[in-house]
Amino acid sequence: MPDGPPGPDTSPLPSGPGHESTVTVPLRWNLSRHARRLLTLAVAGLVIALVTRRPEFAGAAAPALLLLAGWRPGRPSHAQVTSGLTAGRIIEGERAAVTASLNGAAEYTAAVVLHPAHEIVPLPAAGQRPGYASGHRVTLPFLVERWGRRRVGTAEIVLRDRWRLAEGRAQIGLPSLECYPRPAIQRTRVVLNRLPQRLGEHSARAPGEGSEFAGVREYVPGDRQRSINWPATTRRGRLQVNTFQAERSQDVVILVDTAWDGDDARHHVVDIALRGAAAAARAYLDARDRVGFITYRYRARWLAPGHGQRHYYRIAEAMLTQDREWTQDPGFSRLPRQALPPGALILVFTPLMDPRLVETLRDLRQRGFGVLIVDVLNGEPSAGRGRAARLAQRIWRMEQQAIRFSLRELGIPVVHWDGEQSLDLSLAPFTRRAMVTRR
Amino acid sequence: MSGWQAPWTAGGRPSWAAGLGTDLRLWWRRSTVRLAATAGLLGAACVAWSAAPPGRGGHAAPVLIVLAACCVAGGLGQLATAALVPPGPGAYPGPLARLGLWGLDWLRRAPWAEGVTLGALALEAFHPARPWHTAVLGVALIAYLLATHLAESAGGPGEAATVLRAQAPVLAAGLGLLVLAAASALLPSAGTGMAGGWLRAAAAVAAVLACALALPI
Repeated sequence: MPDGPPGPDTSPLPSGPGHESTVTVPLRWNLSRHARRLLTLAVAGLVIALVTRRPEFAGAAAPALLLLAGWRPGRPSHAQVTSGLTAGRIIEGERAAVTASLNGAAEYTAAVVLHPAHEIVPLPAAGQRPGYASGHRVTLPFLVERWGRRRVGTAEIVLRDRWRLAEGRAQIGLPSLECYPRPAIQRTRVVLNRLPQRLGEHSARAPGEGSEFAGVREYVPGDRQRSINWPATTRRGRLQVNTFQAERSQDVVILVDTAWDGDDARHHVVDIALRGAAAAARAYLDARDRVGFITYRYRARWLAPGHGQRHYYRIAEAMLTQDREWTQDPGFSRLPRQALPPGALILVFTPLMDPRLVETLRDLRQRGFGVLIVDVLNGEPSAGRGRAARLAQRIWRMEQQAIRFSLRELGIPVVHWDGEQSLDLSLAPFTRRAMVTRR
Repeated sequence: MSGWQAPWTAGGRPSWAAGLGTDLRLWWRRSTVRLAATAGLLGAACVAWSAAPPGRGGHAAPVLIVLAACCVAGGLGQLATAALVPPGPGAYPGPLARLGLWGLDWLRRAPWAEGVTLGALALEAFHPARPWHTAVLGVALIAYLLATHLAESAGGPGEAATVLRAQAPVLAAGLGLLVLAAASALLPSAGTGMAGGWLRAAAAVAAVLACALALPI
């Protein structure tokens, strides 16, 4: 029978790629299962030989007994293990690997067994079974199934002698990693009709120095000579110049409602909302917009708008962070100007299940913000049997329809997204032209 | 951070695209699968070899055969479930899943191979003396134990061969002793009484022990 593994080494381990840590772990040596089986065969053969007075049973015990003769005492009590991860930050579904190398036990064969933590799925290394690799320097690939700050688990080092009679085992804790939500596909962007006076990539209605052609007008002193439209000038007999649209950036605030997650383990509402939010953040940051981020879980936590690739990672980390490093506020009414800049587009990913959030969205619309809701509710509460249950489900559906209808009546568009298809399809009615917001 | 790739794809192509035949061949080529199948067949062969023909065990023999067969099946299940990874400490399985995990743990910890060994030897002991038959059983049992060990511990295709190569001289010596013991059992004994039988068996045991102690490993 195998022995239980010794307790994991509790020494602190750094997280992140390239941070390999070396620890000296104590080895616990025991008789291997193979040795116990050989011992069973040897002892049983000898005893039956003596009891039945049949020497051939002693002969049957001979190979096992000779193999057991290889047992020798004096094994290393400690081993030096260097372990780390190939990546400290990955996206859901990406592969990473544990690397481990063993020093100080060259005369023993070594194997490393990965004991994965929750949501970690070991993958097979080359020609080996998942979560198992033999050698003094091994790589154990694995997959993270769901976003979050994840502990990878523990790795068990197994040393075996030449005769496979003794096994030395040690367990080490593995570093944790950050797994970001996998962004959905979004290539188009919703743009407001009123954009702040800041240089960007969106064509504004106002004339300016952009590259989008707006029209032709008569030349006035001060116009650039290079913008003269010579064909139009020839036709009309007076100097005509081309006019262009200004290019502006916009402020986008992504609001994710994580208060309600439903009971469907396959389609977590929070997962869909965060994947959509990640896609939107990436799309708008690629267009050099300033993107802010707010999560709502009975209270609002926010990140001020910013731009650039670094800000995307700040948002992604904010998705993982629960309580630390967040500016907390009991409600939206007290959110400062930095969190909700005037004239910003507020993109909300929510299942619209929390009435307080619905009221808050109405309030934001009345304050003049352009609000667009992406409805990520993809299921219904399971109805029981019976007429009353069916009636309750019908009332629930009508309530949901009423909420969405009232929001549309206020001028807040609600689009549904199932989390599977591209977000562009859901947002298509609003990406073809600028979204008009009225105060 | 690279782009997202579906976990079930390798090299941008779904694994199912490789075709069922290729998958089966790859699956069979994995040394642990082959070794597990070999171990299962050897275990079944040991039990069948020691049980046939029906001996003098009376009612105990069928019970022993069933128990030994169960041990063979359990050992095979143990090897087959070696790659299954139970959920980590962060998971909260339901009652049925917990029962399944408990069963899996029990399946992995139970000494199935020892059961097969004891069952096969006991079934062989029920028969009248048949030295060469017992010698073949001894060879099959040691092969079964080695195959079981390699199936549960060998990392790659080459590891099993390396282990066997290192143990080959000792195995050869053990098999030589086995042949000698079986041959000595066939020699006409000096006396037909109980003392003669005891003497012969004790001599064989002493010879095997002496060889084990004197083996220059």
